[in-house]
Amino acid sequence: MFALTVARRYLFSNPAQTALLIAGVALGVTAFVFITALIKGLAVRLTDDVTASSAHVSLEPMTRVARVLSGPDAKPQAVALVSTFQRRQIRAWRSTEALLRSQPTVSAVSPQISGSAFLVKGEAIAPVAVTALDPLDLDAITPISTQIVRGSSGLGADGILIGVRLAESLGLSAGQPVLFRTDRGIDRLLTVRGVFRTGMQTLDERVAYISIQTARPLFRLPEGVTNIEVKLTDPNDARTFATFLHEATGLRATSWQEKNASLEGGLTAQAQTGTLIQTFSLISVLIGIASALSLSANRRSGEIGIMRAFGVSKTFIATVFVLQGLLIGMIGAGIGCLSGFGLCVWLATLTKPDGSMALPIAPAEGGYVAVFLLTTLGAVLASVIPARSAARLDPLQAIQQ
Amino acid sequence: MTTVLEARGIGMTFRNGDEQTQVLQDVDLTLDPGELAALTGASGSGKSTLLSIVGLLLRPTAGTLTIAGERVEALSDAQRDLFRNQRLGFIFQFHHLLPDFTATENVAFPAAAPTGGISPAMRQRARDLLGRVGLGDRMDFPATRLSGGQKQRVAIARALMNHPDLVLADEPTGSLDRVAAGQVLDLMAEMNREDGTTFLICTHDEQVAARCARRISLKDGQVEAGAGGGLAGPMRRRAGPVPPGRQ
Repeated sequence: MFALTVARRYLFSNPAQTALLIAGVALGVTAFVFITALIKGLAVRLTDDVTASSAHVSLEPMTRVARVLSGPDAKPQAVALVSTFQRRQIRAWRSTEALLRSQPTVSAVSPQISGSAFLVKGEAIAPVAVTALDPLDLDAITPISTQIVRGSSGLGADGILIGVRLAESLGLSAGQPVLFRTDRGIDRLLTVRGVFRTGMQTLDERVAYISIQTARPLFRLPEGVTNIEVKLTDPNDARTFATFLHEATGLRATSWQEKNASLEGGLTAQAQTGTLIQTFSLISVLIGIASALSLSANRRSGEIGIMRAFGVSKTFIATVFVLQGLLIGMIGAGIGCLSGFGLCVWLATLTKPDGSMALPIAPAEGGYVAVFLLTTLGAVLASVIPARSAARLDPLQAIQQ
Repeated sequence: MTTVLEARGIGMTFRNGDEQTQVLQDVDLTLDPGELAALTGASGSGKSTLLSIVGLLLRPTAGTLTIAGERVEALSDAQRDLFRNQRLGFIFQFHHLLPDFTATENVAFPAAAPTGGISPAMRQRARDLLGRVGLGDRMDFPATRLSGGQKQRVAIARALMNHPDLVLADEPTGSLDRVAAGQVLDLMAEMNREDGTTFLICTHDEQVAARCARRISLKDGQVEAGAGGGLAGPMRRRAGPVPPGRQ
């Protein structure tokens, strides 16, 4: 293709200028890659932090809702009273658990009894949110075993695991007894088997774990469970899976995204900001290409005029400039992707004093294919304006200049 | 015998808003194959405009134009491009060689651009032409390394690349010193004499006009006279290679 030969010669006739142009494109692409990798990395870190230590889908009985009465005999303001004679619980939890364990997307299931209680030590008293579960499934949802800082994770029949801040506020340590008083008014002396530190203040200050068998008499639930916590192989499937579970069981199924709506909103806003920055960096790259090629078309107007005079078509002239845009875009995007990847890999090696990453960057998530294609396509589009103006040059005027 | 150029009643009026400027009026012009003709006239007489019309770079506002037996005034832009490429050659005052290409590539360009590349046959033809214009030792030189006279000789070779029926030269020696100008004129006369290539040379230089077999003078946009002598008489034969389909 002779137009490609001409385009290549034009580009490399002034190596310094072309190198600067390509460097500009590469810099814009590097910025794009960095922003993409940073935003993706941040999103992954935040999502991982949430999904690694909490359930992806939670199943609970449907909420009791006061029902407005209607009909010919009902008064306009009549409301049916909600029955509180029965505990809210999942009675058929074993069949639900079986259903869940048969799903290939489910990685862990934990039937639980959740309730409120107080821990009493002498005159000190602290409220706790109790999670009662099968000791064998202790780490199914939250990896508590790995976060034990004192004692062990073995619950046993009268054991309790508490957070480090709760232990400090009550002056408790592993092996010490503590009075456990449930919201049902039942007391029992339990032994602190272990103290955990999750790093999340709410958990370390307000959460306690006991065995589900221990919890049944304490919360007066001899058969049922209050909730079933589910983990999935892919947390992103949670929303769809929650809908499926609700339809299959009639229970209220809440995805982790629904529970953390503010996090999702934050991630969306962050992604939108990133898109804006990426768009502006691409636009600046494309303006650079368009202006450089316009200058080139102007500088070469005499040559273009003579080419047109001896019958070279407008299409050929336009193709030469579009191909220059294509080459600049491809080379610049290629170099930018490589340098962006290198920058991200280097930044990923930087750590804070505690050993964690200084920047939550994900080098593999730089959007390389997208930015390469977008830049190349954009460069071609940016070259259309100078290509058209070059092709439309009046040969007579161009020659006489 | 078919004339190379037959212009009848050519008129050209430029409009600038309400203002109209008539540059050419009822111009008749005929060139036979193998002629070496000078188109002369004072500045503003319309000779460059007439050359541009004959070269299909401008559309006349009146008249008919036949080149190598083909009516061309109504051709579309794309058809005019093709016609210029295949039937006409151009030599301008400023050579406008492509600086990023060698002498051979510059000469071959008019043939290569529409076909997608320089074929071995094109390269050989370009080299032959460069040899004939005395640049056999400069074939692979970049255009930027040639002198002004050498560049104009490359431009002559380029104009002849596609075996044109008519070569139009606009002040071809205007930017050259006396020695180089003489060499370029010798060269065009030689091509005319040996190949029978028809030349129409637009010039205001009396010495250039004197080298042509025929002089066509323009005054105030009209042909003043159409006769002349000179060193090179009109050739009525084609001595050089004739491309297929042009006989």
